[in-house]
Amino acid sequence: MKKEDKILSIILIAGLFVFIAVADKFFNLYVQRVLNLCAIYTILALSMNLINGFTGLFSLGHAGFMAIGAYMVGIFTVPVEIRPMVYFMKPMHPAIADIEMPFIVALILGGLLSAFIAFLIGAPVLRLRDDYLAIATLGFSEIIRIVITNAQSITNGSLGIKNIPPVANIWWIYITMIISIAFIVLLINSSYGRAFKAIREDEIAAEAMGINLFKHKMMSFMIGAFFAGIGGGLYAALLGTVDPKNFLFVLTYNFLLIIVLGGMGSVSGTIISAYVVTAGQEWLRFLDEPLSIGGIAIPLFRPGFRMVIFSLLLMIIVLFYRDGLMGTREINWEMIKNFGKRFKLRRVKSGEVQ
Amino acid sequence: MNLKMKKAISIFLCFLLIASVAGCGGQGESTSGSEDVIKIGVFQPLTGANAAGGELELEGVKLANKLYPEVLGKKVELVIVDNKSDKAEAASAVARLIEKENVSAIIGSWGSAFSIAAGNIVKEKQVPAVGASCTNPLVTQGNDYYFRVCFIDPFQGTVMAKYAFEKLNARKAAIIQEVSNDYAVGLANFFKEEFVRLTGDPNAVVEVSNYQTGDNDFSAQLTSIKSKNPDVIFAPGNFTESALIIKQARKLGIETPIIGGDTWETDEFLKVGGKEVEGIVFSTFFDPSVTFTPESKKFLEAYAEEYPDKEPAAVTALGYDAYILILDAIKRANSADPQAIRDALAETKDFEGAAGMITLDENGDAIKDAVIKTVKNGKFVYLDIVKAN
Repeated sequence: MKKEDKILSIILIAGLFVFIAVADKFFNLYVQRVLNLCAIYTILALSMNLINGFTGLFSLGHAGFMAIGAYMVGIFTVPVEIRPMVYFMKPMHPAIADIEMPFIVALILGGLLSAFIAFLIGAPVLRLRDDYLAIATLGFSEIIRIVITNAQSITNGSLGIKNIPPVANIWWIYITMIISIAFIVLLINSSYGRAFKAIREDEIAAEAMGINLFKHKMMSFMIGAFFAGIGGGLYAALLGTVDPKNFLFVLTYNFLLIIVLGGMGSVSGTIISAYVVTAGQEWLRFLDEPLSIGGIAIPLFRPGFRMVIFSLLLMIIVLFYRDGLMGTREINWEMIKNFGKRFKLRRVKSGEVQ
Repeated sequence: MNLKMKKAISIFLCFLLIASVAGCGGQGESTSGSEDVIKIGVFQPLTGANAAGGELELEGVKLANKLYPEVLGKKVELVIVDNKSDKAEAASAVARLIEKENVSAIIGSWGSAFSIAAGNIVKEKQVPAVGASCTNPLVTQGNDYYFRVCFIDPFQGTVMAKYAFEKLNARKAAIIQEVSNDYAVGLANFFKEEFVRLTGDPNAVVEVSNYQTGDNDFSAQLTSIKSKNPDVIFAPGNFTESALIIKQARKLGIETPIIGGDTWETDEFLKVGGKEVEGIVFSTFFDPSVTFTPESKKFLEAYAEEYPDKEPAAVTALGYDAYILILDAIKRANSADPQAIRDALAETKDFEGAAGMITLDENGDAIKDAVIKTVKNGKFVYLDIVKAN
């Protein structure tokens, strides 16, 4: 990285902090929520992209890892004195009933537990490839959910937990997001990251070059799971409630959608697409409101219409951008600086052709 | 060609995005100015897995709005938002209703989980919300701004235990519950407590077995229940699975009465269950053949006019009640201020709703009568009414 670029990056991060401060002070709850959700989905999609896009492991277990992180925060940050109210049907197991943790501890423990479980499940499952791996990880995420549903004295079963202290404000979430992005970018540009990409391109060739396949796959899987757990914890704290039905396997498809749309193997693509998908659905809400032109109500504009338009947009993007919005490319300073130049160049070129 | 196409598409997408942003901004300006409108927000799952339930509830709200379009001389405007059957979306939708639309009160949502997720926001922003059919006790617990017009799971479980004990003379019961459903678990648990209390026998519930949403083979659970030989089987859960359970139980030669909760009251239950579900008994909120109050009559007539070929569902009546309860609170408070509405709501006593008299307790839960129904000749038939006390 050139010195100039470094300075630009620092300015960007500083600018982001100013933006957070402004958002925290002046934006209303609704806008803040959408921004927070975008950031959390960025963390989750990025961690999934690390596994799926950069290492080429087709894993669909993200909802499970997220659930672990979310429940860690849910179980241990609810104040002890209001627990009997939440666990009104079956009291909390005495071994954990009096343990209360600060949010950050529960969040990190959730990530670590999630990574540890990824290690346990990864050992047998990462020997599988492609679709088989997808099926195994999908099954794993369902197992997690069913265990949570049945462990009533720990997780309150299908009733879910509420009254999770809403500590996760915009500062928490954005700083966590910046750390996650920075970590994953640094990881991808390290020798480990290059090994991940080599595995994605061709496992046999990578092995022949001396890359320890299992070790690197496991590493990617565990780091991905760690950040999924962190994202899940933030999600729980943002919503203030968790229940097992949150973590149905369809949740994983949300993130799959984001990374396919943004580009499998592109950090900037994932970030853009997480914002476009999450905020876009909110923007499109005007389609749900009744609309009348010249006094005639147009029957199409009613609740649910935005999802039709949203799906249409997705179809168009997938049809015309096969590799997602960014493919495997990244936005970097070089590209931004060259943007103006390239535009000019293209005009000159097309002039030559004509 | 391809490149041109791509360019055209990109421009089209950009345009759409800009148009949507512009549309968003425009909407906010045009709606926030008017003073002579009172806005009531409705958030419901109108797309996604629970769309059917949300749509039914919305039907009732809209019908009530048609009958009572004005309060305090001002027009009442419904602002309907979809929560996509998703918790995060439900929370954002409610934040939008409060911040962007400045609603005075909120109705919703079908599905307790969505209501719980929205609960934090209504509490923080101090805007009252009235749930229509969310029965999980956690919805209103510890939240002064959430109310509901339906009874909660504990009450329904208790009602069925009483019914089994008094009317069916049951002394031993077995439970088969949909463990992944908060509603079923709630009912089962309170059924067990009450049944044990009534019989005075700590072992009165001989078996509690679980199944997951989507299961379709229940022979293991049923064989085990059969060997225990209970007098009654309590099977709260989703309608499809429950109908299959009853079918399979009858095939296994279990002749014991099977009882359940309000989720059974759907056409699918009758279709899947066929003649095997004849004679089952369940509790619910409402029956079109019983007029609880003058308001029920009004509701039934209006409904028949609006939807001539349909019978109103219980949740539709509850959606209707949620709306008229809010209107009544606005009248009593003589103000559209959210805080004043909340205070008026909290004092609701003997309010005439379409689905029975409503009195709100200190949690904001409705105390009301339950209806007992059965299946006869392939139809749901009113059987009895259980008073709340």
